[in-house]
Amino acid sequence: MLDLIQIGIFLALLAIGYFAGSIVERRHYASIRQRERAYADVLAFMVRFPPDRVTPQRAFLVHGTVVVSSDYFKTFVASLRNLFGGRFRSYETLMERARREALLRLKADARRRGAKLVVCVRFETTTISSGWAPSMEVFAYGTALIPEGEAGAQSSGRSRLLGDGYARYAQPGP
Amino acid sequence: MKLENRAPAEGINASHENPLKELAWLLTGSLAAVVAIVFSISLAAQWIAPRIPYKYEARLAASLPSFTTAPDTDQGRQVQAELQALADRLASRMQMPEGMIVRVGWRDDRIVNAYATLGGQMVFFGGLLKQLGSEDALAMVMAHELAHLKYRHASAALGRGVAVGVILSVISAELGRNAAGGLLNQAGVVTLLSFSRDQERAADEAALSAIAAEYGHLAGAFELFEVFQRQAGAKFEAAGAVEFLRTHPLTASRRAAIEHWAAANKVPTTGSPRPLPPAIAALREGARRNAKAS
Amino acid sequence: MLVSNLELVPGKRVTAHFGIVQGSTVRAKHVGKDIFAGLKNIVGGELKGYTELMQEAREESIQRMIAEAESMGANAILNVRFATTSIAAGAAEILAYGSAVRLEDI
Repeated sequence: MLDLIQIGIFLALLAIGYFAGSIVERRHYASIRQRERAYADVLAFMVRFPPDRVTPQRAFLVHGTVVVSSDYFKTFVASLRNLFGGRFRSYETLMERARREALLRLKADARRRGAKLVVCVRFETTTISSGWAPSMEVFAYGTALIPEGEAGAQSSGRSRLLGDGYARYAQPGP
Repeated sequence: MKLENRAPAEGINASHENPLKELAWLLTGSLAAVVAIVFSISLAAQWIAPRIPYKYEARLAASLPSFTTAPDTDQGRQVQAELQALADRLASRMQMPEGMIVRVGWRDDRIVNAYATLGGQMVFFGGLLKQLGSEDALAMVMAHELAHLKYRHASAALGRGVAVGVILSVISAELGRNAAGGLLNQAGVVTLLSFSRDQERAADEAALSAIAAEYGHLAGAFELFEVFQRQAGAKFEAAGAVEFLRTHPLTASRRAAIEHWAAANKVPTTGSPRPLPPAIAALREGARRNAKAS
Repeated sequence: MLVSNLELVPGKRVTAHFGIVQGSTVRAKHVGKDIFAGLKNIVGGELKGYTELMQEAREESIQRMIAEAESMGANAILNVRFATTSIAAGAAEILAYGSAVRLEDI
Protein backbone atom coordinates (compact mmCIF):
# COMPACT_ATOMS: atom_id res chain seq x y z
CA MET A 1 0.00 0.00 0.00
CA LEU A 2 2.81 2.33 0.94
CA ASP A 3 4.53 1.48 -2.33
CA LEU A 4 1.47 2.54 -4.28
CA ILE A 5 1.38 5.87 -2.46
CA GLN A 6 5.05 6.44 -3.24
CA ILE A 7 4.50 5.60 -6.89
CA GLY A 8 1.52 8.00 -6.92
CA ILE A 9 3.53 10.87 -5.45
CA PHE A 10 6.31 10.27 -7.93
CA LEU A 11 3.92 10.30 -10.89
CA ALA A 12 2.23 13.45 -9.59
CA LEU A 13 5.57 15.26 -9.27
CA LEU A 14 6.55 14.10 -12.73
CA ALA A 15 3.29 15.37 -14.21
CA ILE A 16 3.60 18.73 -12.45
CA GLY A 17 7.22 19.00 -13.58
CA TYR A 18 6.27 18.26 -17.16
CA PHE A 19 3.22 20.49 -17.53
CA ALA A 20 4.27 23.41 -15.38
CA GLY A 21 7.84 23.15 -16.63
CA SER A 22 6.85 23.27 -20.29
CA ILE A 23 4.56 26.25 -19.67
CA VAL A 24 7.36 28.12 -17.88
CA GLU A 25 9.76 27.29 -20.69
CA ARG A 26 7.43 28.40 -23.45
CA ARG A 27 6.70 31.68 -21.71
CA HIS A 28 10.37 32.29 -21.12
CA TYR A 29 11.21 31.69 -24.77
CA ALA A 30 8.41 34.02 -25.88
CA SER A 31 9.71 36.71 -23.52
CA ILE A 32 13.27 36.19 -24.76
CA ARG A 33 12.30 36.51 -28.43
CA GLN A 34 10.23 39.59 -27.79
CA ARG A 35 13.01 41.29 -25.85
CA GLU A 36 15.61 40.34 -28.43
CA ARG A 37 13.57 42.26 -30.99
CA ALA A 38 13.21 45.19 -28.59
CA TYR A 39 16.94 45.34 -27.84
CA ALA A 40 18.01 44.96 -31.45
CA ASP A 41 19.47 48.47 -31.38
CA VAL A 42 21.98 47.70 -28.61
CA LEU A 43 24.81 45.90 -30.37
CA ALA A 44 26.99 43.33 -28.62
CA PHE A 45 30.18 41.90 -30.07
CA MET A 46 33.02 39.75 -28.95
CA VAL A 47 35.70 41.77 -30.70
CA ARG A 48 38.31 43.09 -28.36
CA PHE A 49 38.72 46.45 -30.04
CA PRO A 50 35.86 48.70 -31.02
CA PRO A 51 35.38 49.37 -34.71
CA ASP A 52 35.83 53.09 -34.24
CA ARG A 53 39.21 53.64 -32.62
CA VAL A 54 39.53 57.34 -33.16
CA THR A 55 36.60 58.90 -31.35
CA PRO A 56 37.11 59.24 -27.59
CA GLN A 57 34.70 56.94 -25.80
CA ARG A 58 33.51 56.41 -22.30
CA ALA A 59 33.98 52.77 -21.37
CA PHE A 60 32.55 50.84 -18.46
CA LEU A 61 31.84 47.22 -17.57
CA VAL A 62 28.30 45.94 -17.98
CA HIS A 63 27.03 42.51 -17.11
CA GLY A 64 23.96 40.32 -16.99
CA THR A 65 23.46 37.24 -14.87
CA VAL A 66 20.74 34.65 -14.44
CA VAL A 67 20.25 31.30 -12.71
CA VAL A 68 17.80 28.94 -14.42
CA SER A 69 16.69 25.84 -12.60
CA SER A 70 15.73 22.43 -13.90
CA ASP A 71 12.30 20.97 -13.16
CA TYR A 72 11.47 17.50 -11.81
CA PHE A 73 10.67 16.08 -15.22
CA LYS A 74 13.92 17.28 -16.80
CA THR A 75 15.99 15.96 -13.90
CA PHE A 76 14.31 12.56 -14.07
CA VAL A 77 14.84 12.24 -17.82
CA ALA A 78 18.45 13.34 -17.40
CA SER A 79 19.17 10.75 -14.73
CA LEU A 80 17.86 8.02 -17.03
CA ARG A 81 19.92 9.46 -19.87
CA ASN A 82 22.98 9.17 -17.66
CA LEU A 83 22.69 5.38 -17.96
CA PHE A 84 22.79 5.32 -21.71
CA GLY A 85 24.96 8.31 -22.57
CA GLY A 86 24.49 10.73 -25.45
CA ARG A 87 22.84 14.09 -25.72
CA PHE A 88 20.84 15.59 -22.86
CA ARG A 89 18.01 17.20 -24.76
CA SER A 90 16.32 18.22 -21.54
CA TYR A 91 19.24 20.26 -20.24
CA GLU A 92 20.13 21.89 -23.55
CA THR A 93 17.04 24.11 -23.56
CA LEU A 94 17.94 25.16 -20.02
CA MET A 95 21.39 26.30 -21.08
CA GLU A 96 20.14 28.12 -24.15
CA ARG A 97 17.52 30.03 -22.19
CA ALA A 98 20.06 30.97 -19.53
CA ARG A 99 22.58 32.25 -22.07
CA ARG A 100 20.15 34.29 -24.10
CA GLU A 101 18.64 35.73 -20.92
CA ALA A 102 22.06 36.70 -19.57
CA LEU A 103 22.93 38.47 -22.83
CA LEU A 104 19.61 40.31 -22.78
CA ARG A 105 20.24 41.48 -19.23
CA LEU A 106 23.67 42.68 -20.27
CA LYS A 107 22.09 44.69 -23.07
CA ALA A 108 19.49 46.05 -20.67
CA ASP A 109 22.25 47.12 -18.31
CA ALA A 110 24.05 48.85 -21.18
CA ARG A 111 20.93 50.63 -22.40
CA ARG A 112 20.01 51.73 -18.92
CA ARG A 113 23.39 53.42 -18.65
CA GLY A 114 23.02 55.07 -22.03
CA ALA A 115 25.20 52.86 -24.26
CA LYS A 116 24.39 51.41 -27.65
CA LEU A 117 27.50 49.33 -28.18
CA VAL A 118 29.06 46.60 -26.06
CA VAL A 119 32.35 45.01 -27.03
CA CYS A 120 34.52 42.22 -25.68
CA VAL A 121 31.59 40.16 -24.39
CA ARG A 122 32.52 37.00 -22.48
CA PHE A 123 30.43 34.26 -20.85
CA GLU A 124 31.00 32.28 -17.66
CA THR A 125 28.82 29.26 -16.89
CA THR A 126 28.50 27.40 -13.61
CA THR A 127 26.31 24.62 -12.36
CA ILE A 128 24.76 24.99 -8.95
CA SER A 129 23.49 21.68 -7.63
CA SER A 130 20.85 22.07 -4.97
CA GLY A 131 20.63 18.47 -3.86
CA TRP A 132 19.33 16.56 -6.81
CA ALA A 133 18.35 19.19 -9.39
CA PRO A 134 21.02 21.22 -11.15
CA SER A 135 20.63 24.92 -11.88
CA MET A 136 22.72 26.70 -14.49
CA GLU A 137 24.15 30.09 -13.80
CA VAL A 138 25.32 32.18 -16.75
CA PHE A 139 27.25 35.41 -16.26
CA ALA A 140 27.79 37.60 -19.33
CA TYR A 141 30.05 40.63 -19.13
CA GLY A 142 31.43 43.15 -21.59
CA THR A 143 32.58 46.69 -22.04
CA ALA A 144 29.95 49.26 -23.01
CA LEU A 145 31.08 52.25 -25.07
CA ILE A 146 29.50 55.71 -25.28
CA PRO A 147 31.15 58.22 -27.63
CA GLU A 148 31.97 61.27 -25.57
CA GLY A 149 29.73 64.23 -25.94
CA GLU A 150 26.67 62.08 -26.46
CA ALA A 151 23.42 62.70 -24.60
CA GLY A 152 23.24 61.88 -20.93
CA ALA A 153 26.96 61.59 -20.32
CA GLN A 154 29.44 63.95 -18.71
CA SER A 155 32.69 62.39 -19.61
CA SER A 156 34.67 61.42 -16.55
CA GLY A 157 38.00 61.61 -18.25
CA ARG A 158 38.98 60.33 -21.63
CA SER A 159 39.77 56.77 -22.37
CA ARG A 160 41.35 55.96 -25.63
CA LEU A 161 41.21 52.44 -26.81
CA LEU A 162 43.92 52.69 -29.38
CA GLY A 163 46.68 50.26 -30.06
CA ASP A 164 49.30 51.81 -32.32
CA GLY A 165 50.54 48.46 -33.47
CA TYR A 166 47.13 47.76 -34.94
CA ALA A 167 46.91 51.06 -36.83
CA ARG A 168 47.65 49.12 -40.02
CA TYR A 169 44.42 47.18 -39.56
CA ALA A 170 42.23 50.13 -38.64
CA GLN A 171 39.02 49.90 -40.57
CA PRO A 172 37.39 52.77 -42.39
CA GLY A 173 34.46 54.21 -40.46
CA PRO A 174 31.00 52.62 -40.64
CA MET B 1 31.92 48.21 -42.33
CA LYS B 2 28.55 46.92 -41.31
CA LEU B 3 27.76 46.50 -37.62
CA GLU B 4 24.62 44.63 -36.68
CA ASN B 5 23.32 41.88 -34.45
CA ARG B 6 21.57 39.28 -36.58
CA ALA B 7 19.45 36.65 -34.87
CA PRO B 8 20.62 33.08 -35.60
CA ALA B 9 18.16 30.35 -36.55
CA GLU B 10 16.22 28.75 -33.70
CA GLY B 11 16.60 25.12 -32.74
CA ILE B 12 20.34 24.74 -33.31
CA ASN B 13 21.46 24.54 -29.72
CA ALA B 14 18.27 23.10 -28.29
CA SER B 15 15.75 20.86 -29.92
CA HIS B 16 12.12 21.76 -29.39
CA GLU B 17 10.73 18.32 -30.03
CA ASN B 18 8.38 16.78 -27.49
CA PRO B 19 10.37 15.62 -24.44
CA LEU B 20 7.84 12.86 -23.80
CA LYS B 21 9.24 10.96 -26.74
CA GLU B 22 12.67 10.88 -25.19
CA LEU B 23 11.19 9.89 -21.84
CA ALA B 24 9.29 7.01 -23.40
CA TRP B 25 12.41 5.65 -25.07
CA LEU B 26 14.61 5.97 -22.00
CA LEU B 27 12.01 4.55 -19.64
CA THR B 28 11.24 1.50 -21.70
CA GLY B 29 14.91 0.91 -22.38
CA SER B 30 16.04 1.14 -18.78
CA LEU B 31 13.12 -0.82 -17.32
CA ALA B 32 13.54 -3.54 -19.90
CA ALA B 33 17.25 -3.73 -19.15
CA VAL B 34 16.76 -3.91 -15.39
CA VAL B 35 13.98 -6.49 -15.58
CA ALA B 36 15.91 -8.63 -18.05
CA ILE B 37 19.10 -8.57 -15.99
CA VAL B 38 17.35 -9.25 -12.68
CA PHE B 39 15.24 -12.00 -14.21
CA SER B 40 18.11 -13.85 -15.81
CA ILE B 41 20.35 -13.57 -12.74
CA SER B 42 17.50 -14.75 -10.51
CA LEU B 43 16.82 -17.69 -12.77
CA ALA B 44 20.47 -18.66 -12.74
CA ALA B 45 20.78 -18.31 -8.95
CA GLN B 46 17.58 -20.23 -8.42
CA TRP B 47 18.71 -23.04 -10.68
CA ILE B 48 22.13 -23.35 -9.06
CA ALA B 49 21.24 -23.03 -5.37
CA PRO B 50 19.24 -26.25 -4.82
CA ARG B 51 21.84 -28.22 -6.75
CA ILE B 52 24.52 -27.37 -4.24
CA PRO B 53 24.60 -30.40 -1.88
CA TYR B 54 22.73 -29.88 1.38
CA LYS B 55 25.83 -30.38 3.51
CA TYR B 56 27.19 -26.98 2.46
CA GLU B 57 23.94 -25.32 3.45
CA ALA B 58 24.02 -27.19 6.76
CA ARG B 59 27.56 -25.99 7.38
CA LEU B 60 26.58 -22.40 6.63
CA ALA B 61 23.58 -22.66 8.95
CA ALA B 62 25.73 -24.17 11.69
CA SER B 63 27.99 -21.12 11.60
CA LEU B 64 25.00 -18.84 12.29
CA PRO B 65 23.26 -18.62 15.68
CA SER B 66 20.47 -21.19 15.92
CA PHE B 67 16.95 -20.03 15.09
CA THR B 68 15.22 -22.93 16.79
CA THR B 69 15.06 -21.67 20.34
CA ALA B 70 12.02 -21.77 22.60
CA PRO B 71 10.98 -19.78 25.68
CA ASP B 72 12.82 -21.13 28.69
CA THR B 73 9.72 -22.24 30.58
CA ASP B 74 8.03 -25.59 31.04
CA GLN B 75 5.22 -24.52 28.76
CA GLY B 76 7.76 -23.27 26.23
CA ARG B 77 9.57 -26.57 26.11
CA GLN B 78 6.35 -28.62 25.93
CA VAL B 79 5.04 -26.57 23.04
CA GLN B 80 8.34 -27.01 21.24
CA ALA B 81 8.27 -30.76 21.77
CA GLU B 82 4.74 -30.99 20.33
CA LEU B 83 5.70 -28.87 17.34
CA GLN B 84 8.74 -31.03 16.72
CA ALA B 85 6.65 -34.22 16.92
CA LEU B 86 4.16 -32.88 14.40
CA ALA B 87 7.00 -31.78 12.12
CA ASP B 88 8.63 -35.20 12.20
CA ARG B 89 5.32 -36.90 11.44
CA LEU B 90 4.62 -34.70 8.45
CA ALA B 91 8.21 -34.79 7.21
CA SER B 92 8.01 -38.55 6.95
CA ARG B 93 5.30 -38.05 4.33
CA MET B 94 7.41 -35.66 2.26
CA GLN B 95 10.73 -36.63 0.72
CA MET B 96 13.08 -34.27 2.53
CA PRO B 97 16.62 -33.80 1.20
CA GLU B 98 19.31 -36.26 2.13
CA GLY B 99 20.94 -35.37 5.43
CA MET B 100 18.44 -32.67 6.46
CA ILE B 101 17.46 -32.72 10.11
CA VAL B 102 14.26 -30.76 10.61
CA ARG B 103 14.21 -28.65 13.78
CA VAL B 104 11.41 -26.47 15.10
CA GLY B 105 11.50 -23.52 17.47
CA TRP B 106 9.00 -20.90 18.52
CA ARG B 107 8.85 -17.40 19.99
CA ASP B 108 6.12 -16.02 22.20
CA ASP B 109 5.46 -12.99 20.00
CA ARG B 110 2.20 -11.52 18.83
CA ILE B 111 3.16 -11.91 15.17
CA VAL B 112 0.82 -14.21 13.23
CA ASN B 113 3.43 -15.91 11.10
CA ALA B 114 5.90 -18.77 10.71
CA TYR B 115 8.96 -19.18 8.53
CA ALA B 116 11.49 -21.72 7.31
CA THR B 117 15.14 -20.89 6.91
CA LEU B 118 18.57 -22.37 6.22
CA GLY B 119 19.67 -25.64 7.70
CA GLY B 120 16.27 -27.30 8.05
CA GLN B 121 15.08 -24.86 10.70
CA MET B 122 11.49 -23.65 11.19
CA VAL B 123 10.25 -20.96 13.52
CA PHE B 124 6.65 -20.38 14.66
CA PHE B 125 5.36 -17.27 16.37
CA GLY B 126 3.00 -17.32 19.34
CA GLY B 127 0.49 -15.11 17.57
CA LEU B 128 -0.09 -17.82 14.96
CA LEU B 129 -0.25 -20.68 17.48
CA LYS B 130 -2.90 -18.81 19.46
CA GLN B 131 -5.06 -18.13 16.40
CA LEU B 132 -5.34 -21.69 15.04
CA GLY B 133 -8.18 -23.85 16.31
CA SER B 134 -7.23 -27.32 15.20
CA GLU B 135 -4.25 -29.56 14.54
CA ASP B 136 -5.22 -29.67 10.87
CA ALA B 137 -4.71 -25.93 10.41
CA LEU B 138 -1.40 -26.06 12.28
CA ALA B 139 -0.35 -29.00 10.14
CA MET B 140 -1.11 -27.03 6.98
CA VAL B 141 1.28 -24.28 8.07
CA MET B 142 3.85 -26.85 9.10
CA ALA B 143 3.61 -28.71 5.82
CA HIS B 144 3.93 -25.45 3.86
CA GLU B 145 7.12 -24.58 5.70
CA LEU B 146 8.42 -28.14 5.31
CA ALA B 147 7.84 -27.80 1.58
CA HIS B 148 10.04 -24.69 1.56
CA LEU B 149 12.73 -26.76 3.25
CA LYS B 150 12.24 -29.64 0.86
CA TYR B 151 12.65 -27.45 -2.23
CA ARG B 152 15.60 -25.55 -0.66
CA HIS B 153 13.76 -22.27 -1.22
CA ALA B 154 15.77 -20.50 1.45
CA SER B 155 19.03 -21.18 -0.40
CA ALA B 156 17.54 -20.11 -3.70
CA ALA B 157 16.25 -16.89 -2.15
CA LEU B 158 19.65 -16.23 -0.64
CA GLY B 159 21.39 -16.70 -3.98
CA ARG B 160 18.87 -14.51 -5.77
CA GLY B 161 19.03 -11.85 -3.09
CA VAL B 162 22.81 -11.59 -3.17
CA ALA B 163 23.09 -11.51 -6.95
CA VAL B 164 20.29 -9.01 -7.46
CA GLY B 165 21.44 -6.92 -4.52
CA VAL B 166 24.80 -6.43 -6.19
CA ILE B 167 23.19 -5.36 -9.46
CA LEU B 168 20.75 -2.96 -7.83
CA SER B 169 23.47 -1.39 -5.71
CA VAL B 170 25.52 -0.73 -8.86
CA ILE B 171 22.50 0.97 -10.42
CA SER B 172 21.89 2.98 -7.24
CA ALA B 173 25.49 4.07 -7.12
CA GLU B 174 25.26 5.27 -10.71
CA LEU B 175 22.01 7.13 -10.38
CA GLY B 176 22.28 8.31 -6.82
CA ARG B 177 19.30 8.51 -4.52
CA ASN B 178 17.06 10.30 -6.97
CA ALA B 179 13.78 9.23 -8.47
CA ALA B 180 15.26 7.32 -11.37
CA GLY B 181 17.37 5.20 -9.03
CA GLY B 182 14.33 4.49 -6.90
CA LEU B 183 12.26 3.58 -9.92
CA LEU B 184 14.76 1.10 -11.33
CA ASN B 185 15.32 -0.37 -7.87
CA GLN B 186 11.57 -0.92 -7.55
CA ALA B 187 11.49 -2.56 -10.96
CA GLY B 188 14.21 -4.96 -9.83
CA VAL B 189 12.43 -5.72 -6.55
CA VAL B 190 9.12 -6.29 -8.31
CA THR B 191 10.79 -8.80 -10.64
CA LEU B 192 12.23 -10.60 -7.62
CA LEU B 193 8.85 -10.76 -5.93
CA SER B 194 7.42 -12.80 -8.78
CA PHE B 195 9.95 -15.51 -7.98
CA SER B 196 8.91 -15.38 -4.34
CA ARG B 197 5.26 -15.83 -5.32
CA ASP B 198 6.11 -18.83 -7.48
CA GLN B 199 7.87 -20.38 -4.49
CA GLU B 200 4.84 -19.86 -2.28
CA ARG B 201 2.56 -21.51 -4.82
CA ALA B 202 4.88 -24.49 -5.10
CA ALA B 203 5.03 -24.82 -1.30
CA ASP B 204 1.23 -24.68 -1.05
CA GLU B 205 0.88 -27.53 -3.51
CA ALA B 206 3.42 -29.79 -1.82
CA ALA B 207 1.80 -29.08 1.55
CA LEU B 208 -1.62 -30.11 0.27
CA SER B 209 -0.30 -33.54 -0.74
CA ALA B 210 1.14 -34.14 2.72
CA ILE B 211 -2.02 -32.96 4.50
CA ALA B 212 -4.25 -35.08 2.33
CA ALA B 213 -2.07 -38.12 3.04
CA GLU B 214 -2.04 -37.54 6.82
CA TYR B 215 -5.60 -36.36 7.49
CA GLY B 216 -7.61 -37.44 4.46
CA HIS B 217 -9.25 -34.03 3.96
CA LEU B 218 -8.36 -30.36 3.56
CA ALA B 219 -10.49 -28.69 6.25
CA GLY B 220 -7.33 -27.49 7.97
CA ALA B 221 -6.18 -25.61 4.89
CA PHE B 222 -9.45 -23.71 4.63
CA GLU B 223 -9.44 -22.89 8.31
CA LEU B 224 -5.93 -21.49 7.93
CA PHE B 225 -6.95 -19.15 5.12
CA GLU B 226 -9.95 -17.96 7.14
CA VAL B 227 -7.46 -16.89 9.81
CA PHE B 228 -5.29 -15.12 7.20
CA GLN B 229 -8.18 -13.25 5.72
CA ARG B 230 -9.30 -12.14 9.16
CA GLN B 231 -5.78 -10.91 9.85
CA ALA B 232 -5.29 -8.99 6.63
CA GLY B 233 -8.72 -7.48 6.84
CA ALA B 234 -11.03 -8.78 4.16
CA LYS B 235 -11.84 -5.30 2.94
CA PHE B 236 -8.18 -4.52 2.27
CA GLU B 237 -7.79 -7.40 -0.12
CA ALA B 238 -11.18 -6.99 -1.71
CA ALA B 239 -10.36 -3.37 -2.48
CA GLY B 240 -8.06 -4.60 -5.21
CA ALA B 241 -4.70 -4.99 -3.52
CA VAL B 242 -2.28 -5.57 -6.34
CA GLU B 243 -0.47 -8.86 -6.43
CA PHE B 244 2.68 -7.70 -8.13
CA LEU B 245 3.87 -5.78 -5.07
CA ARG B 246 3.50 -8.70 -2.66
CA THR B 247 5.74 -11.59 -1.70
CA HIS B 248 2.79 -14.03 -1.52
CA PRO B 249 -0.07 -14.52 -3.96
CA LEU B 250 -3.36 -12.97 -2.87
CA THR B 251 -5.13 -15.06 -0.24
CA ALA B 252 -8.16 -15.34 -2.49
CA SER B 253 -6.09 -16.86 -5.27
CA ARG B 254 -4.43 -19.27 -2.84
CA ARG B 255 -7.85 -20.46 -1.72
CA ALA B 256 -8.90 -20.90 -5.31
CA ALA B 257 -5.74 -22.93 -5.92
CA ILE B 258 -6.59 -25.25 -3.02
CA GLU B 259 -10.12 -25.81 -4.29
CA HIS B 260 -8.74 -26.52 -7.73
CA TRP B 261 -6.23 -29.02 -6.35
CA ALA B 262 -8.88 -30.71 -4.23
CA ALA B 263 -11.14 -31.14 -7.24
CA ALA B 264 -8.29 -32.40 -9.42
CA ASN B 265 -7.07 -34.93 -6.84
CA LYS B 266 -10.53 -35.87 -5.55
CA VAL B 267 -9.78 -35.00 -1.91
CA PRO B 268 -12.69 -33.78 0.23
CA THR B 269 -12.52 -30.17 1.36
CA THR B 270 -14.39 -30.71 4.61
CA GLY B 271 -14.03 -33.16 7.42
CA SER B 272 -13.71 -33.31 11.18
CA PRO B 273 -10.48 -31.67 12.34
CA ARG B 274 -8.31 -33.11 15.08
CA PRO B 275 -7.91 -31.08 18.28
CA LEU B 276 -4.69 -29.21 19.05
CA PRO B 277 -1.94 -30.94 21.05
CA PRO B 278 -2.44 -30.20 24.79
CA ALA B 279 0.30 -27.63 25.47
CA ILE B 280 -0.54 -25.59 22.39
CA ALA B 281 -4.24 -25.76 23.24
CA ALA B 282 -3.44 -24.47 26.73
CA LEU B 283 -1.43 -21.62 25.21
CA ARG B 284 -4.40 -20.64 23.05
CA GLU B 285 -6.83 -20.85 25.99
CA GLY B 286 -4.60 -18.65 28.09
CA ALA B 287 -4.45 -16.01 25.37
CA ARG B 288 -8.27 -16.06 24.99
CA ARG B 289 -8.83 -15.64 28.71
CA ASN B 290 -6.39 -12.72 28.81
CA ALA B 291 -8.14 -11.11 25.84
CA LYS B 292 -11.54 -11.46 27.52
CA ALA B 293 -10.29 -10.11 30.83
CA SER B 294 -8.73 -6.99 29.26
CA MET C 1 33.82 28.53 -42.61
CA LEU C 2 36.96 29.89 -41.03
CA VAL C 3 37.01 29.34 -37.28
CA SER C 4 39.75 30.90 -35.23
CA ASN C 5 40.43 32.45 -31.88
CA LEU C 6 42.37 35.22 -33.59
CA GLU C 7 40.99 38.73 -33.48
CA LEU C 8 42.48 39.64 -36.88
CA VAL C 9 43.28 37.23 -39.67
CA PRO C 10 46.40 38.23 -41.61
CA GLY C 11 45.63 39.08 -45.22
CA LYS C 12 41.89 39.43 -44.68
CA ARG C 13 39.60 42.28 -43.86
CA VAL C 14 36.41 42.25 -41.81
CA THR C 15 33.61 43.89 -43.79
CA ALA C 16 30.69 43.11 -41.47
CA HIS C 17 30.14 42.06 -37.88
CA PHE C 18 27.02 40.01 -37.23
CA GLY C 19 27.22 39.50 -33.49
CA ILE C 20 27.85 36.63 -31.11
CA VAL C 21 27.27 33.01 -32.09
CA GLN C 22 27.21 30.17 -29.61
CA GLY C 23 27.26 26.41 -29.78
CA SER C 24 26.71 24.26 -26.75
CA THR C 25 25.99 20.67 -25.94
CA VAL C 26 25.46 18.58 -22.81
CA ARG C 27 26.73 15.03 -23.01
CA ALA C 28 27.37 11.99 -20.89
CA LYS C 29 28.92 8.59 -21.36
CA HIS C 30 26.96 5.44 -20.67
CA VAL C 31 27.05 3.62 -17.35
CA GLY C 32 29.61 1.03 -18.45
CA LYS C 33 32.24 3.68 -19.04
CA ASP C 34 31.33 5.33 -15.73
CA ILE C 35 31.92 2.11 -13.83
CA PHE C 36 35.21 1.60 -15.63
CA ALA C 37 36.24 5.15 -14.77
CA GLY C 38 35.39 4.50 -11.13
CA LEU C 39 37.71 1.52 -11.15
CA LYS C 40 40.40 3.42 -13.00
CA ASN C 41 40.32 5.94 -10.18
CA ILE C 42 42.13 3.34 -8.14
CA VAL C 43 45.14 2.98 -10.42
CA GLY C 44 45.14 6.38 -12.14
CA GLY C 45 46.05 7.19 -15.73
CA GLU C 46 44.13 8.54 -18.69
CA LEU C 47 40.39 7.97 -18.75
CA LYS C 48 40.05 7.35 -22.48
CA GLY C 49 36.27 7.16 -22.26
CA TYR C 50 35.94 10.60 -20.78
CA THR C 51 38.57 12.05 -23.11
CA GLU C 52 36.43 10.82 -26.00
CA LEU C 53 33.35 12.31 -24.36
CA MET C 54 34.89 15.77 -24.06
CA GLN C 55 36.26 15.51 -27.60
CA GLU C 56 32.85 14.63 -29.05
CA ALA C 57 31.14 17.34 -27.05
CA ARG C 58 33.61 19.95 -28.22
CA GLU C 59 33.24 18.88 -31.86
CA GLU C 60 29.48 19.01 -31.58
CA SER C 61 29.39 22.47 -30.03
CA ILE C 62 31.79 23.86 -32.66
CA GLN C 63 29.51 22.41 -35.34
CA ARG C 64 26.51 24.10 -33.78
CA MET C 65 28.31 27.40 -33.57
CA ILE C 66 29.17 27.11 -37.26
CA ALA C 67 25.52 26.32 -38.02
CA GLU C 68 24.40 29.48 -36.22
CA ALA C 69 26.94 31.57 -38.10
CA GLU C 70 25.88 30.10 -41.44
CA SER C 71 22.26 30.92 -40.70
CA MET C 72 23.32 34.54 -40.17
CA GLY C 73 25.13 34.69 -43.48
CA ALA C 74 28.63 34.96 -42.02
CA ASN C 75 31.66 33.27 -43.54
CA ALA C 76 34.04 33.27 -40.57
CA ILE C 77 33.98 33.06 -36.80
CA LEU C 78 36.69 34.92 -34.93
CA ASN C 79 37.57 35.32 -31.26
CA VAL C 80 36.41 31.82 -30.42
CA ARG C 81 36.38 30.95 -26.71
CA PHE C 82 35.40 27.80 -24.82
CA ALA C 83 33.69 27.34 -21.45
CA THR C 84 33.21 23.99 -19.75
CA THR C 85 30.96 23.05 -16.84
CA SER C 86 30.23 19.71 -15.28
CA ILE C 87 26.59 18.98 -14.60
CA ALA C 88 26.04 16.31 -12.00
CA ALA C 89 28.29 13.29 -12.21
CA GLY C 90 29.56 12.08 -15.55
CA ALA C 91 27.89 14.78 -17.68
CA ALA C 92 29.64 17.81 -19.13
CA GLU C 93 28.45 20.94 -20.88
CA ILE C 94 30.73 22.57 -23.41
CA LEU C 95 30.02 26.07 -24.69
CA ALA C 96 31.87 27.47 -27.69
CA TYR C 97 31.19 31.10 -28.61
CA GLY C 98 32.65 33.55 -31.05
CA SER C 99 32.13 36.55 -33.31
CA ALA C 100 30.37 35.90 -36.59
CA VAL C 101 31.90 38.11 -39.31
CA ARG C 102 32.19 38.43 -43.05
CA LEU C 103 35.79 38.28 -44.16
CA GLU C 104 37.12 39.46 -47.49
CA ASP C 105 40.61 39.44 -48.86
CA ILE C 106 42.47 42.68 -48.54
